[in-house]
Amino acid sequence: MYQSFILLIVVLCFSCPSYAQTADPVDQETVRALVKEVRELKARVVVLETKLGQAEERAAALEPGKPAEPPREPTQPAAGERESFNVLHGIKIQGFGELSNRTNDARPPEGASFGFRAGSASNFAIGDVDLFLTSQITRKAKVLAEVAFSETDTQEFETDVERMLLKYDLNDHLKMSFGRFHTATSYYNSIYHHGLWLQTAADRPLSVEFSDHGGLLPSQAVGVSLTGSIPSGALGLNYNFEYGSASTIRPFINAPDAGEVHEHNGNEITAGLFAKPDWLPGLEIGGSFYHDRLDPENTGVHIGQSIGSAHVVYATPKFEFINEAFFIQHEVQETGQTFNTPAFYSLISHKFGDKWRPYFRYQYANASDFSPLFADVGLRHGPSAGIRFDYNDYIAFKAQYDHTLRRRLPDIHGLWLQLAFRF
Amino acid sequence: MIMTKTHHKQRIGWGAAALLLLLACGLFAQQPPPTTDVAVIVNPLNPVESISSADLHKIFAGEKQSWGGNQPVFVFVRAPQAREREVLLERVMHMTESEYRQYWVKKLYSGEVQHEPLALMSNGMQLEAVRSDKGGIALISMQDVHPGVKVLKIDGHLPGTPGYLLK
Repeated sequence: MYQSFILLIVVLCFSCPSYAQTADPVDQETVRALVKEVRELKARVVVLETKLGQAEERAAALEPGKPAEPPREPTQPAAGERESFNVLHGIKIQGFGELSNRTNDARPPEGASFGFRAGSASNFAIGDVDLFLTSQITRKAKVLAEVAFSETDTQEFETDVERMLLKYDLNDHLKMSFGRFHTATSYYNSIYHHGLWLQTAADRPLSVEFSDHGGLLPSQAVGVSLTGSIPSGALGLNYNFEYGSASTIRPFINAPDAGEVHEHNGNEITAGLFAKPDWLPGLEIGGSFYHDRLDPENTGVHIGQSIGSAHVVYATPKFEFINEAFFIQHEVQETGQTFNTPAFYSLISHKFGDKWRPYFRYQYANASDFSPLFADVGLRHGPSAGIRFDYNDYIAFKAQYDHTLRRRLPDIHGLWLQLAFRF
Repeated sequence: MIMTKTHHKQRIGWGAAALLLLLACGLFAQQPPPTTDVAVIVNPLNPVESISSADLHKIFAGEKQSWGGNQPVFVFVRAPQAREREVLLERVMHMTESEYRQYWVKKLYSGEVQHEPLALMSNGMQLEAVRSDKGGIALISMQDVHPGVKVLKIDGHLPGTPGYLLK
């Protein structure tokens, strides 16, 4: 009897697959369609059950005379009763660092920056050690601080509070920041801060370099910054507005120990507008206008400074195309003279696989030799080409070649090797 | 002797049946588990019923950080390896895991966002988070959706219907 039973199981087991394999293709198609339909119906049932549950809860809450039932599930705690999942108190610290080796053939040698020794043809430096601190205070408010320890050419470190902001986001249309911020004079200054790991290239373009490293724009200010979106549908318009006091101290870059100028900026005002259209995520087109009044030390003149900028950026995780142009005007009030400095840079890069990202950049700045502030810059332009290798999510190697052409001075050929990391 | 032989045959019979059963179970287990659509869930007190795919991308990319009425958006995501996270990266963000992590480091560092999405270890935790937070939003497999949260349409499509984004 057992033998017959086992034989029956064996026959059944083998007959089922063979039946399935020889079934009519039309039947198979029907079965597939039915299974799909059952799956869809199941999903709809879950949705409807969820909706029904919500409707019952609402009806019970609205029914007059009926005592309110305790809710089945906790929905919304009273204010202050329970912390949100996301409000995690305490200070979160992240750090950025780098080790670079820079070699160039500048003759005569140029000024020191990023910890590199002035006049040296090749040396190592760690540049900036950058600590980034954030602390969520409430659901809408947080404190953001960025402290940089910048290496000097004598391997000493200067501490600088780069950013210190109390941020309050009322909604998408109004986000307020109070404190010390990086000005919205350029796209680059708004998006990239200290921490070279964050950016593709080994250094910032000269026009958007931090002013204490010889950059042309006032990169920091203390005051109020507002930003937000403007209801504009798929166009995705945003604004920014800043009012504060800049304090620019800029070293002359064309010679070692050439000194620096304290611009004694008056209050600055910046207004900007940019679009991030829905139809092409990653695209951003915009511009800004900045104005302040300078009283540079030891010059005996007062200068009105106006900076217009425009940018077209397309940045995705794989592809990056950043273009910015600037028009910097200095008007000497005592003489009525006007000095215009146009500048731009363009950077394109593409990531191959998960690790390699070759890039190419061209930059240009053209300041008058008689400019009261940018005479050391003169005309500088040229290409940079490099490659970034992301060893993992924390460590990147960069190798970059620069060729800088200057007015009435020999070209500079330079090589940067950089190990950038975050921690 | 005859009894011993019968018992021996019975043992062989049972053994064969158990082997067949194991084989059948193995074949069944090798079949891929049925996949269900991934739903977008929010708190029932959130008045939103439907969301566009563009807005969904903006929310999970930190570009849209508030619902109407000044209610901040709190984004919950699954930790790496979960199917919901894979769907998020592939269908919404169009990024790899590494790109997603780097994206949020840059986003946070630029000061554009208050905080990065909170990564949770299970769908149960996601449900609890969205139930307890009026501004919460998360992606969760339809089979794990339970009452206490609201399922949003994407571009007018409910999960399980043709044209739904998060399949």
